[in-house]
Amino acid sequence: MATYIIRRLLGLIPTLFVITVIVFLLMHAMPGNAFEALVFNPRLKNAAAIYNRLVQENGLNQSLPVQYFDWIKNLLQGNLGISYSLNMPVSELIATYLPNTLLLAVTAEIIILVVSIPIGLYQARNVNGPFDVLSSFIAVLFYSIPGFVFALLLIYLLSFTFNLLPSSGTVTPGVPWSGDFADRVSHLLLPALALSLPGLAYYTRLTRGNSLQVIVADFVRTARAKGLRGPRILFRHVLRNAVIPIIAQFGLDLGGLFSGAVILEQIFTWPGMGELSINANLNRDYPLILGTTLLFAITVLIGNLLADILLAFADPRIRYD
Amino acid sequence: MGGALLEVRDLKTYFVSKQSTVKAVDGVDFSVSQGRVLCIVGESGSGKSVTSLSLMRLVQGPQGRIVSGEVLLEGRDLLRMSERQMSDVRGNEIGMIFQEPMSALNPVMKIGDQIGEVLVRHRHISRREAREKAVELLRNVGLARADEMVHEYPHQLSGGMRQRAMIAMAMACQPKLLLADEPTTALDVTIQAQVLDLMRALQKETGTAIILVTHDLGVVAEMADDVVVMYAGQIVESGPADEIFDRPLHPYTRALMDSIPVIEEERERLRAIPGTVPSAAHFPEGCRFADRCSLVEGRCRERLPELRELGPGHSVRCHLA
Ligand SMILES: Nc1ncnc2c1ncn2[C@@H]1O[C@H](COP(=O)(O)OP(=O)(O)OP(=O)(O)O)[C@@H](O)[C@H]1O
Ligand SMILES: [Mg+2]
Repeated sequence: MATYIIRRLLGLIPTLFVITVIVFLLMHAMPGNAFEALVFNPRLKNAAAIYNRLVQENGLNQSLPVQYFDWIKNLLQGNLGISYSLNMPVSELIATYLPNTLLLAVTAEIIILVVSIPIGLYQARNVNGPFDVLSSFIAVLFYSIPGFVFALLLIYLLSFTFNLLPSSGTVTPGVPWSGDFADRVSHLLLPALALSLPGLAYYTRLTRGNSLQVIVADFVRTARAKGLRGPRILFRHVLRNAVIPIIAQFGLDLGGLFSGAVILEQIFTWPGMGELSINANLNRDYPLILGTTLLFAITVLIGNLLADILLAFADPRIRYD
Repeated sequence: MGGALLEVRDLKTYFVSKQSTVKAVDGVDFSVSQGRVLCIVGESGSGKSVTSLSLMRLVQGPQGRIVSGEVLLEGRDLLRMSERQMSDVRGNEIGMIFQEPMSALNPVMKIGDQIGEVLVRHRHISRREAREKAVELLRNVGLARADEMVHEYPHQLSGGMRQRAMIAMAMACQPKLLLADEPTTALDVTIQAQVLDLMRALQKETGTAIILVTHDLGVVAEMADDVVVMYAGQIVESGPADEIFDRPLHPYTRALMDSIPVIEEERERLRAIPGTVPSAAHFPEGCRFADRCSLVEGRCRERLPELRELGPGHSVRCHLA
């Protein structure tokens, strides 16, 4: 297993290389650069000179391949460069913002799995019953409405109308209990809920569908013929098999959830990777764009790898050598 | 046949949907005594599997319904038991094995756990003890590698090994009755013989009664003490095996015997019975075999013949017999 993981991790390197090339090219295809705005500032007398100096200092006058390999060379030494707009090392910025996004995404993922799997399983057990019909209807509704619409709805209901949960930031500033556990959790709940809603609906459907297929399988009949009772059959035989495709999907979605957080972070003014990467792009902050995009790519790849590893544990028919 | 272990009376199992009522089993009576082997034979679709599933109350609901009858196991009517009481019978007093040993085993559960599970359920022993017992049970069905096999998954075993493991599982609690629905159909010919020998040996050793469902008269000749011939959801002939083979009275039974493959000039010739089984949704008025019977007369199409006892334990459903 360990050698498998190492091999897979090494296998990610070529993929990452291609991704960085594409990002690099696309980034330079965007009109303008970080310093052009200076030229149009009427109060700067020697704008052109400053511009040229900045361009030169940051190596932007060099050809793209040279710039690219410079960046790679630094990257291999663990240096992601200095953000133009925030004047801080990119690695330090990521270290500050990444945990917030991770917290948001992981919480949303936990909400999704903890809620949708039992619901889907229960729906499948009592298929076409009143609960199944009602919850399936709601699930389709949730799934077909974009997450940010729900975010606004949640803010309107839970924050604005009933004043139950805060709707912005990670902590309440300027109070003695600012940043304590309850404060952080209450700030986390709303964005995490908004982020999880579409996934919740989707995974409920997925669990329901998989379980329905498994419930009619021969080995479930065998389990009944052995005299096993409902709960054991449902969890040990049905769910244990139905969960395999869910794990595969879960890995694929992990990266998506990460980027899905981008929009929601804006709505909830959540200081995470979304905010960082949007600002980077608006400012043509090349080192920060490369750093954040690389990170997004890595999360997608890690998600896939994680799914494959989990899958190998969940399904003995998969060989990982 | 006083003191029968299992007695089935007027069993009717229908599949009811809005469009039609499929009378898969339409009034079946038979009994099995302790330590005997009863074979149920008949063409595909004659209701053999539904009969055996009905005995275990494992017919796929909600369409599949046992509409009437009694299934008396040592005098207790299984059809009147609560689901909970019934689950105490399954795997404990009646063991069951199925046609496809691959799909009948849970693909993601170790063989040892699948066997152990039935012991934990009915014998209330610890999981560790159950695993030790599983090794012993696997040895008893002729699997020499039992020690390793308990840690393996179904896909790691051959078809014959899987069916042996299924038998070990079904026999784990030393049931009074073993129900086997085409246990060798999916296996190679040589393996078929081995598995049948194993069942014979276990039956001798433990005194378990066996109901063996098959469409293979060769298997019947080798295994059966008693035979039930089914056609279109009903019994058309039943009796001791010698009687049936020496003096088949029903034209369908005779036709079945004629359709046994004969090796002639080194090639197999199979005389199939002309025509097809009537649809279980629209049975004709009279004898259900009338359309395919070479001896058909006017009265055959008017009235369904009764099952009449013509010799000691030998019953036939035919006007002409
Ligand atoms: N789940 C079901 N829904 C509707 N009809 C069914 C169902 N299961 C079986 N039947 C019908 O019941 C009848 C008897 O089927 P059964 O499976 O008992 O036949 P069989 O004798 O076991 O045949 P085979 O040799 O092919 O296994 C068939 O007409 C079949 O179409
Ligand atoms: Mg069958």
